[in-house]
Amino acid sequence: MANYAQPEVLVTTDWVRDNLEKPGTKLVEIDVDTKAYDAGHIPGAIGFNWQTQLQDQVRRDIIGKEAFEKLLGGAGISPKDTVILYGDNNNWFAAYGFWLFKIYGHKDVRLMNGGRVKWLNEKDKSLTTDPPKITPTQYKVTETHLELRAMLPEVMDISKTGKANLVDVRSPDEFSGKVIAPPGMSETAQRGGHIPGARSVPWSTAVQQDGTFKSADELQSIYIQQKGVDSTKPTVAYCRIGERSSHTWFVLKYLLGLDNVKNYDGSWTEYGNVVAAPIEKG
Amino acid sequence: MNHQTRVYNDIFEMLPSEENPSPMVRINRMSPSPDFELHAKLEWLNPFGSVKDRAAWAMLREMEEKGEVGHGRGLVEPTSGNTGISLAAMAKARGYHIRAVVPNKVPLEKKVLLKIAGAELDVVNDALCPAPGLGDGSINIAKSHAKAQAKKYAMPNQYENEQNVLAHMRTTGPEIWRQTEGKVTHLFVSLGTCGTVSGTSRFLKGKNSSIKVIAVQPTEGHDVPGLRNVSQLGVSKLFEVEYKLAYARAMELCQTEGLLAGPSSGLIYEGAREIILRDKKGFGVMIFPDNIFKYTSNMMKHIPGLATGNEA
Ligand SMILES: Cc1ncc(COP(=O)(O)O)c(C=O)c1O
Repeated sequence: MANYAQPEVLVTTDWVRDNLEKPGTKLVEIDVDTKAYDAGHIPGAIGFNWQTQLQDQVRRDIIGKEAFEKLLGGAGISPKDTVILYGDNNNWFAAYGFWLFKIYGHKDVRLMNGGRVKWLNEKDKSLTTDPPKITPTQYKVTETHLELRAMLPEVMDISKTGKANLVDVRSPDEFSGKVIAPPGMSETAQRGGHIPGARSVPWSTAVQQDGTFKSADELQSIYIQQKGVDSTKPTVAYCRIGERSSHTWFVLKYLLGLDNVKNYDGSWTEYGNVVAAPIEKG
Repeated sequence: MNHQTRVYNDIFEMLPSEENPSPMVRINRMSPSPDFELHAKLEWLNPFGSVKDRAAWAMLREMEEKGEVGHGRGLVEPTSGNTGISLAAMAKARGYHIRAVVPNKVPLEKKVLLKIAGAELDVVNDALCPAPGLGDGSINIAKSHAKAQAKKYAMPNQYENEQNVLAHMRTTGPEIWRQTEGKVTHLFVSLGTCGTVSGTSRFLKGKNSSIKVIAVQPTEGHDVPGLRNVSQLGVSKLFEVEYKLAYARAMELCQTEGLLAGPSSGLIYEGAREIILRDKKGFGVMIFPDNIFKYTSNMMKHIPGLATGNEA
């Protein structure tokens, strides 16, 4: 696919249609609107709920290793499986899921380019409300990659020293501080604005009209030439709660092939609540 | 049926047509210019209560003719309310089930009315009037139901169904031509699915290509149910009005013309007023989509004083 650094992490809707029933291929839908899966999903796809299944239910955190093992085992996924993730809103939470799968060392995980909307609008693709048939497995995590995750102290340090690129993928109004969160969102912050030193590159810059990713050349020109992301430095992407930034994290790391890219999932709902943290507006 | 005595065999006979047009009422005290005769076409007097009776009926009739509904197959439709209310009442009178998928911002009155009219209600996070095509939200949730359960649901899809446009070519346009005796020079409309503007203007421009069609849209980020701001859509010849004026003008129409007009009508009136002050002479028709009754909770948000003094 279009000269991407790691083209194997993306599959087309046609590929998914043709490989639906292939043993060792597992489909997982992860949506912002959890009603979408229930309304209809790709035959055989399992649905994960980002709020109740991908987040620790007590502290603010991603699920731990044991919970991840339990979730995947319960979904009938084995470490050797090819897992295809897709979802609504241009794969926001599917990308978040992708990031989580990579943190817990799952080798072969891919995104369906264009997400559920592309599938839905194609005549030769079907949806079902039938629940998938699942044979539970014993899933074991053998390696973790926490280096894919940025935590607050590191972000503070980057902001102060400029030793890495900070990419703010929220809307221009969130970046400038005009609004704290998009309308209707319940997770918010005490203050509006952005982390000093961050560049504004809204997540949607990376996708075309039909929701699929832009070509490697276009992405290169947008992020590197136009927005000035320095490809010799590490990069941290953030948004409000870490889902839109997973999308950009995916673009920078896998499609553009930047070396060291992290997702700061604490994002603005952490940073914008920290007492005495410096904030830039405008 | 007899439109003179207004005695009907069923509610469907009351649907508007050239022989039974929705009424047109002249604007008097709020007339912007003495040389410009301005009329409001009262779509809320349609049998199911809004302009959307026309599109709903045309879509449902075509589906019946093609055998797409019945025998356990009902409807699923994304709606900001009025299409769903019309469709629900029609569908239930015919014996079909219906599921309405609405954006969360739709006024409470409409959500409750949909249930009263017999629709199963799905509320989703979405823009008030979603853009068709890509994106998620109500259109795509409805499409998912129709695709996943094709035996149970057919989807009229007002956003992409040409019957929505044809309905206005067959009824609204000819009605206005006849009611104005061909004198109409300006047509003022609002934009939701754009069925009204497309169909009516196509008919009227076929009769007289110099008729001006002014589509009034609310400012971006608006809160006027049923409408869209078409920077989402890419249509030209638009007139933009600050959306809060929709509420102020609706209130004024209620209190000085006796026209119990809703916010989308208020918006259209304001657009007409500004254009008439510029054009001065002419014969205008405003298509007033709905009255005020389904928008009292919205009015309370936007008109100071309405929310207070309602308790002992
Ligand atoms: C209150 C109201 N006004 C205006 C409109 C716009 O009509 P149309 O969808 O034909 O553009 C609608 C319908 O969506 C509506 O419900």
